[in-house]
Amino acid sequence: MGRYVIRRLLQAIPVLLGSTFLIFCTVYALPGDPVTILGGERRIDPVLAAQLREQYGLNDPLIVQYWNYISGVFVGDFGETFQGVQVADLFAGKFEVTIQLAVTALIIEAIVGLGLGLYAALRRGRWQDHAVLALTLLLVSVPTLVSGFVLQLVLGVKLKTELGIDFFPISGTEAGWRSFLVPGFVLAGTSIAYLMRLTRTSLMETLRADYIRTAVAKGMPRSRVLGRHALRNSLIPLVTYLGADLGTLMGGAVITEAIFNLNGIGQQLFQSVARRENAVVVGVVTVLVLVYLLANLIVDLLYAVLDPRIRYE
Amino acid sequence: MRVTKGARIVAGTALLAVAVAACGGGGGGTATNEGGGSSTQPVRVDIAKPQHELSPTNTNDTSGAEVLNALFVGLVDYDKDKNVILRGAESIEPDAESKVWTIKLKDGYKFHNGEAVTAKSYVDAWNAAAYGPNAQEGGHFFNAVEGYADVAPVDPDGEEGPQKAPEPKAKTLAGLKVVDDKTFTVTLARPYSGFKTMLGYTTFMPMPSVAFDGNGGIKKEFGENPIGNGPFKMAKPFKLATDTTISMVRYDEFVEGKAKIDSVEFKISSDKGTSWNELRAGNLDIMDQLPPEAIATAKQELGDRYIEQPSSGVGYLGFNTKNGEEWAKNVELRKAVSMAIDRKTITEQVFSGTRVPADDFVSPIVAGYRKGACTACVYDPAKAKELWEKNGGGKGPISLSYNGDGGHKEWIEATANNLRQNLGVEVKVDSFESFASILDELDKGKVAGAFRMAWIMDYPSIENYLRPIFGTGGSSNHGRYSNKDFDALLEKGDSAKSDEEGVKIYQQAGDMLVKDMPYIPVYFYQTNGGYSQRVKNVTIDPFERIDLAKVERVS
Repeated sequence: MGRYVIRRLLQAIPVLLGSTFLIFCTVYALPGDPVTILGGERRIDPVLAAQLREQYGLNDPLIVQYWNYISGVFVGDFGETFQGVQVADLFAGKFEVTIQLAVTALIIEAIVGLGLGLYAALRRGRWQDHAVLALTLLLVSVPTLVSGFVLQLVLGVKLKTELGIDFFPISGTEAGWRSFLVPGFVLAGTSIAYLMRLTRTSLMETLRADYIRTAVAKGMPRSRVLGRHALRNSLIPLVTYLGADLGTLMGGAVITEAIFNLNGIGQQLFQSVARRENAVVVGVVTVLVLVYLLANLIVDLLYAVLDPRIRYE
Repeated sequence: MRVTKGARIVAGTALLAVAVAACGGGGGGTATNEGGGSSTQPVRVDIAKPQHELSPTNTNDTSGAEVLNALFVGLVDYDKDKNVILRGAESIEPDAESKVWTIKLKDGYKFHNGEAVTAKSYVDAWNAAAYGPNAQEGGHFFNAVEGYADVAPVDPDGEEGPQKAPEPKAKTLAGLKVVDDKTFTVTLARPYSGFKTMLGYTTFMPMPSVAFDGNGGIKKEFGENPIGNGPFKMAKPFKLATDTTISMVRYDEFVEGKAKIDSVEFKISSDKGTSWNELRAGNLDIMDQLPPEAIATAKQELGDRYIEQPSSGVGYLGFNTKNGEEWAKNVELRKAVSMAIDRKTITEQVFSGTRVPADDFVSPIVAGYRKGACTACVYDPAKAKELWEKNGGGKGPISLSYNGDGGHKEWIEATANNLRQNLGVEVKVDSFESFASILDELDKGKVAGAFRMAWIMDYPSIENYLRPIFGTGGSSNHGRYSNKDFDALLEKGDSAKSDEEGVKIYQQAGDMLVKDMPYIPVYFYQTNGGYSQRVKNVTIDPFERIDLAKVERVS
């Protein structure tokens, strides 16, 4: 198992190099000159533009720029933005915010998604099952932008101004964990729906399996049948989904962070793409790729816990 | 019912497991003193993220300027009629041809660290701003001063060329001279009667000696914790990378008198809709720009706490008059296009009343604006059609270009429909993915017909709406308009004896634009702000900066 983990980690290196290079090329290829963009609606002064181009090596060919960047990364230097801010400093507080948001979303997703999914599977064909299915449709079809603003208005503004309940903050992170509840739910929205359906189908399928029938026929208590036999086996696809979703949630936080004014990595990524800040975009993507790789590794390791037949060579 | 019970246990276990995990990973926020008494809470102002650290010389964005305006006081300011009034300056006098300006300072202004504001505080700051290698956003403001080319030399083969910009010949501007502690002179490269009006801009603020690194540059720490001479001082340093608030407290020894409120907190937000919700819920006090979708409700909910006033922005349709489509080269056809656009409906419907129809090339906020000066800016579809037919406009096609990253799609589409209906032409709408990409194409002269463009002033002078956009070789002359008489009038205006005389001559230049129509003005931007019940006396200046020293708490 130790060797397996090391092999997986080594495999991450070419993946990281490849993905950062691709991202670097993509940002580089985007139309528009990063220096011109700095001026916004104004035309940037030519003297200033020349100075900035020189300072940030923008006159160099792509491959040279990439080499300058990646060789810096090896010694822990992630470069700096056009504002002269160190990218590493930029990441410090922001990943914390995004991770808190993503983890909150994941927890909400797991509780609501697994819970209602299981509930629906056990009430198969009854009205509760239909209600859950209808709910998933609603969750999938309402865009984040809409659900974000509606929940913000109802839970943040109306609840406070009309009922005096100041529990859900409208934006920002000042209120600690409470700040992440509504954005977390909004961010998890679609994933919750998918997880509900996945859970429902997965469990229903397992419940029809021969070994469940055998277990029931042996007279095993219902709870044991469900807990030890059915649920454990249905969990494998669900854990896979949840693990992969952590990366998606972190990367997909752009809109949610903007609506709830969370100073996280999603917002930073959005601004940096708009400003063609190669150093920041590649830095964020590198970390996100790492998160994906690690989450997948953990998921793979969890399989052995859920199903002892799985062994790692 | 055994099924149900089993399910409960299973679901319950799952919930418990995740809940436990939740306690471990989810929390970790910092609790703050929410809901303290209103007297202890600062006045909270909504801003967007400043583009740079807070150094006056490196600030060219409205948010940064807003913050710096609370920290610094410059030489001049503007009254509500947009006229220049003296603030840090005792007098600002030009010589006979408006070339050499003598600036005398008032006594009593001090930086927050106790250092007196002297002529050197201004001259050093201006030199640091202009010095090319410092790459300051405000540097180009000094190109009017003698010796600018020596401190910030232009790249000899243009931006794209391989050659580096040459080393500057001088470290300081030849045109700036300290006479004594309270006096300095500014020699301009060419006469300019409107120089005084420029001086209220953020770039011209003084800086204390601790700001400089001894090498002509500005210390990075200064940008994080600027020491100003204004009514408020920093409560703690501001880290651009991670901070979401900028906190200030009143500077009690401020010579113009203490501010009415004791502390201010600028809250950086990414979404105006969210900020508006914060204002409604009482978590925010002042917003100087409301989101368009909130305007209608804001008028109702805020009543007389809703602010609506013109801002400095003008939205234009520009034309490629040099090598574009045939119609774009014909002035009568450009006028026909202008008259076919229903500005009123566009500003009211598409912009939800956050813009007003334009009727001059300059914004209503500067002295010299004339209501209805642009005669062809009146909506008259019949006359437009007649003009179009008479001058051989035919079926077109007309192409309209815009950048898709700035929310312009809707009004460009509306304009296209106006033209289709009223002129009976074929209209092609071209979207560029970013403002930068449309600028690239404009530079190469490759945009065929009309294009969207906007101008936000650098300083409140009519000249700033004419020269950069329409002067031959102007820095933002995307239409490549070139008219010798127009240029001559600008120069004549520059060397006028007084501001008033200058404005009159600039207006004559404006008349030539009305005749030639190189661009057509479409709408004026507006400031739509509002404030909470906790504050009063909120005023917004032509730079869209809030005068925080005047703001009062409602007790």
